[in-house]
Amino acid sequence: MKGARPISLLKTVGVLLAKDLLIEWRTRARLNALIFFALATLLLFSFAVGPDTKVLARNAGGYLWLALLFSSVLALGESFRVEQENLTLDGLRLAPADARAIFLSKALGNALLLMLLGAILIPVMVALYGVTVAMGAGSFAATVTLGCMAISAPGTVYSAIASNARARDVLLPLLLFPLIIPALLAAAKATSLVLQGDPMNQLGSWYGLLIGFNLIYWGLGFLLFPRVIED
Amino acid sequence: MSTALYMSTLLAQVGSGRIQGGWEYVWAAYIIAWASLSLYALSLWLRRHGQATHDSKE
Amino acid sequence: MSDLLKTVLQVLSTVAALTSVGLGVWLGVKWAPPRSRVNGRPVLVGMTAAGLGLLALGNWMGLVWTPSEREMGDVYRIIYVHVPAMWMAMLALVVNFACCVGYLLHSSWKTDALAEATAEVGLLFGTYGLVLGAIWGKPTWGTYWDWDPRLTAMAIMLVTYVAYMALRRFVEDPEKRAVWSSVVGIISFINLPIVWFSVKWWRSLHQEQSTPKTVDPDMTLALRVNAWASLILLTLFLLHRYRIALATREAEVAMPEALPTDVPGSRDNRASEVA
Repeated sequence: MKGARPISLLKTVGVLLAKDLLIEWRTRARLNALIFFALATLLLFSFAVGPDTKVLARNAGGYLWLALLFSSVLALGESFRVEQENLTLDGLRLAPADARAIFLSKALGNALLLMLLGAILIPVMVALYGVTVAMGAGSFAATVTLGCMAISAPGTVYSAIASNARARDVLLPLLLFPLIIPALLAAAKATSLVLQGDPMNQLGSWYGLLIGFNLIYWGLGFLLFPRVIED
Repeated sequence: MSTALYMSTLLAQVGSGRIQGGWEYVWAAYIIAWASLSLYALSLWLRRHGQATHDSKE
Repeated sequence: MSDLLKTVLQVLSTVAALTSVGLGVWLGVKWAPPRSRVNGRPVLVGMTAAGLGLLALGNWMGLVWTPSEREMGDVYRIIYVHVPAMWMAMLALVVNFACCVGYLLHSSWKTDALAEATAEVGLLFGTYGLVLGAIWGKPTWGTYWDWDPRLTAMAIMLVTYVAYMALRRFVEDPEKRAVWSSVVGIISFINLPIVWFSVKWWRSLHQEQSTPKTVDPDMTLALRVNAWASLILLTLFLLHRYRIALATREAEVAMPEALPTDVPGSRDNRASEVA
């Protein structure tokens, strides 16, 4: 387990990721509920702020990321509850699967789920808030990818911890939200710039922040996750 | 003449930009600091050995 | 106050604080473990007296002795309690980070107990330091909360460590609690510089906060005395909290079955301590 070569690690990640995605596909009802939760959140923002389209359009980036963040808490909480119901995490560890592979597959799975959610939310947001889009799909995709990965890496570590603690539904957001603030800031700013244009060329520095955040937390998760799920 | 004098004093005030008074904020700050320190000391005293209870409970 | 007296004060406060830290470490090793036979009382009384004496002296210097500042008037006197509190919070959290890394490298109840103590005491200093910062904002910036990068980053940091303490409360198994809280402690600490830079960039369109630049040497001296006094108090708090944590840990490890049934009433006072 310790001396696992990178190739075999990646292979394990692939197998585990395929397993998680299969489970996700077989329990589509939960995925649908998650999508509707996110859509409802977007809709509720427009009710909470009022029908002023200018305000909504100006803050669209922030609302999008808040909706994604709230949904991510539900998705992350589920991702380890599935394993716990049948004690499959113990089975995986006995298999023996490298704990780091479990982390990578879980975090990648969660990031993919969030990206899917983002891809569904963005057109709805554009229609709902009357946003004009200044930049192309490429920068949108980059922003969503970076932002979702930034949420999923620390989120995976923390949901593994919280799923075994008492009051886990409170604990996960309590742990995750303060941590995620830099990523939320950067992702929301970057989205606003993508929507409204970037005359001052600030987009690059927000991407830089997101990339740095991702590198740090994917690295930390990779290093620390084995300690989290050990016995 | 009087306007010139008035202007000069006004400018002097702007130049120094000094905040007048504000002692109530200073006292509030010091009292909060003392209160937090002594309340925490009190809580440590209440939890002193022999009475130390478990950290995790619901 | 003559120059000689100032030098004496400078040296004395430094020596008193550093000696207290050294004695604190010694007491932590010898006196804090449960059933220790070392009589710590004389040293503790001495340290408490030195800490309270220096604090009284420092606050008197801050409130009365130092001149008022050229731009801030008398309001600036808040920094004599605000700045040391922030320094102590940072110091406690650095120790907390070291303990978290240390625990993952080499498991020991002592490291875990010290991590618990530093997080709680750091939260105490950070919380009142933050409140003092907000009070400072009212007369200087006209509002209690200006989204100033420093205060904002500090507030985020406090929420992070409240979550850390909540995690410690929500996990019964002492070993799992120690490992998980170490992981969370490491991640939380590494997050601090990221939060700092992101909040700074986020606020970059607004004016930089002005700190008093006209620093009188007397002001530096008063600030130092206050900081040394806070360091002694920090050492004392950590020491006592560490001792409580060690006793708690021993009780938990010795009789794990006693965990679920516990004194039900004491949870409320614990919750209020974090706040």
